[in-house]
Amino acid sequence: MSETLPATTLDRGALAALRLRLAAPLRARAGEADAPQAPRELLVCAGGACISCHSVAVADALETAVAASRLAGQVRVVRVGCMGLCEAGPLVVVSPDGVYYQKVDGDGARRIVEQHLVGGQVVRELELAAEVPGGERLTGRRVPFFAQQVKIALRNCGVIEPTSLAEYVARDGYLALERVLFELDADAVIDAMKRSGLRGRGGAGFPTGMKWQFVREAPGDEKFIVCNGDEGDPGAFMDRSLLEGDPHSIIEGMAIAGRVVGARQGFVYVRAEYPLAIERLGQALAAARAAGLLGRHILGSGFDFDIEIRIGAGAFVCGEETALLRSIEGKRGTPQPRPPFPAQQGLWGKPTLINNVETWAGVSPIILRGAAWFAAIGTARSKGTKVFALAGAIRNTGLVEVPMGISLRTIVEEIGGGIPGGRAFKAAQSGGPSGGCVPAAAADVPIDYESLQELGSIMGSGGLIILDDRTCMVELARFFVEFLVEESCGKCPPCRIGTRVMLNLLEKITKGEAGPADLDTLESLGRHIQRTSLCGLGQTAPNAVLSTLRHFRTEYDAHVGEGRCPAGQCKALLTYTIAAEPCSGCALCAKACPSGAITGEIKHVHTINQDLCIHCGACLSVCPTDAVQAV
Amino acid sequence: MNARNETVNAERALPARPGEPLDEAAEPTTVELIDAYLRDHPGGGERLIPLLHRAQEHLGYLPFPVIRLIAGRLGLSPVQVFGVVSFYHFFTTVPRGRYQLKVCMGTACFVRHAGAVVEAIHDTIGIGVGEVTADRLFSLEQVRCLGACGLAPAMMINSDVHGHLNRTRVRKLLQGLRAQAKKADAVGADHE
Repeated sequence: MSETLPATTLDRGALAALRLRLAAPLRARAGEADAPQAPRELLVCAGGACISCHSVAVADALETAVAASRLAGQVRVVRVGCMGLCEAGPLVVVSPDGVYYQKVDGDGARRIVEQHLVGGQVVRELELAAEVPGGERLTGRRVPFFAQQVKIALRNCGVIEPTSLAEYVARDGYLALERVLFELDADAVIDAMKRSGLRGRGGAGFPTGMKWQFVREAPGDEKFIVCNGDEGDPGAFMDRSLLEGDPHSIIEGMAIAGRVVGARQGFVYVRAEYPLAIERLGQALAAARAAGLLGRHILGSGFDFDIEIRIGAGAFVCGEETALLRSIEGKRGTPQPRPPFPAQQGLWGKPTLINNVETWAGVSPIILRGAAWFAAIGTARSKGTKVFALAGAIRNTGLVEVPMGISLRTIVEEIGGGIPGGRAFKAAQSGGPSGGCVPAAAADVPIDYESLQELGSIMGSGGLIILDDRTCMVELARFFVEFLVEESCGKCPPCRIGTRVMLNLLEKITKGEAGPADLDTLESLGRHIQRTSLCGLGQTAPNAVLSTLRHFRTEYDAHVGEGRCPAGQCKALLTYTIAAEPCSGCALCAKACPSGAITGEIKHVHTINQDLCIHCGACLSVCPTDAVQAV
Repeated sequence: MNARNETVNAERALPARPGEPLDEAAEPTTVELIDAYLRDHPGGGERLIPLLHRAQEHLGYLPFPVIRLIAGRLGLSPVQVFGVVSFYHFFTTVPRGRYQLKVCMGTACFVRHAGAVVEAIHDTIGIGVGEVTADRLFSLEQVRCLGACGLAPAMMINSDVHGHLNRTRVRKLLQGLRAQAKKADAVGADHE
């Protein structure tokens, strides 16, 4: 099904014909319909993480193996966007069979072609499978990781070739834009966005329809549409995967909004750290322009709209909307006081509609399937689905899209496959450096914007870092505050100075030099920073500290009162010893020790002189027999 | 590396770059590159960041003569342009190494002990974050999440991602690169 579109522009008839011809095979590829007659295809994940695991070489190996087999010319290898299960990458799917193969290498690629495609036998050793309680072996889309998900924003990721306009169109792409251009009036679209209950997926959760209305009603003959793709939260990679896996969905959402609010120019602001996203978005923009879906007189409607890419330059604060707009203008990305909001005075002082990548991706499904359909998913005040990036101490690292209101326990234990290494689930850190920690005790709370806020965290962009019992919560808070000290733009003192003082206090605590009064100072300082900072970065900067103080106070107390780190992570508080039993006398620790604290004869038990020990932990990391212990 | 550190580093690096005094003009090819960009993209000050990207892509870093040149072309003061350069982590006024090490300090990597990776690099080649080895073979930076959370802790060396790192793997990786560079240089010398 290799589709090359004619170089001329498309009209509505051509788009309809394309959908009619390609929709069924693509539905089969997505697993939405049984279509045994659909062509055999090998889908290879070409998302960022799988490429790091050499999935491009796997795709090449599959092509070579197919060409050498009797199926030459009959099976196409499709490089699709992120399928989500990064842990098992590189992933290969045999379509329409729906058989998933994990951790495929060059040899695996040959076996898939020879044994499965030619021989008709599934390669069991490589097949993605999950044992569920009751002994049943689930495979393919039935593994809990996929079965529990509801894909709206990610509907095309892992299904279509990301830059293929034809494949996007065949998945009802640009159909919503057609409706908005020719059938619906602007107020009806805004009304649908409002009734859907969609809220900004960048973190703050502002109702999208209301934002659109403000910009529509703002006076001015020049307005702008902006996509915030400055995904700075460490641990979040949904915007990246969307831009890499389905760039046309962002373009379509922005064009729809352009029509509705009366804007002719859009900007997508993407991080410089995401070269692949920039490349694929650029290709998609060029294809849309060539087809007449961007540019002048779109589809003969008289509506003009075009989009430019703006590349960020590595500043976390640029994820804040006013800072991002300053950055597009070519200035230092420092936030501005609001009001005026960007809806009134944004880019170059003109009304500007700015939404996150994931929000844009959700626009066309709402218009096509209706506000009621979207509003039926989720909780009372948080509708639809949310994409989370699962990482940290979890078996299935990756990207998942789940209905709002799902419990953390379902995400961790069923979709995430639990905690590896027999460790205990301690907490989940949501919302990146601006977020907080949700303790395991609250794992059954339905997740939405409000419930996370009540727990002292935020939804944020959707990064979800799972922590096991070896994570020290004080050290984690220190890590985030250190991040924010470096990323604070320096404009307002509460953030610039306050985060630095918080970091100093946290360093004192992790070194065992703090007193009980320091914890009170930390808490009241945090509240001051929350209240007095100019922008979202500063207002949320103390969240990591305050939420861990609230839920894990005993850990702080152990550091301060007993000079002890219960998780065994704060090096200065640990005492290193060598246990006689497993010590093989290899002397690696003595060689590694920078302070000469370890002595002993080869093949005999070594000992650590506590007076000389500087608590660096070098011995612990080199010991091959785990004889070095830190308590 | 925050903005203040970067300025300090830039100043420190200046005397170490003989042959490049502050007043020296930018290379003609750089001037041509910048002028070509401005010709193709009519507009105003919003072109500054794309232009800095273009110049850094070409030179590997942003030396002061280039900052001065860009400022002049856009009608800005050099200090305004330097203010933008120092604000964004991506821009650097210091040349980087032949092998650019970028250790991921995202949360997932942090939870899986990325700190030990930085320590191991320091122990092996003696540089800390923001520094370059004297032979300009290696430079070390921290980055915020490579999006390779499944491979944590991870590091990027030029454009390759290396995952599941520990002290031993880091040491072997760097020693391997050093040997490789030595070999490549030796081969190059033989051919000359």
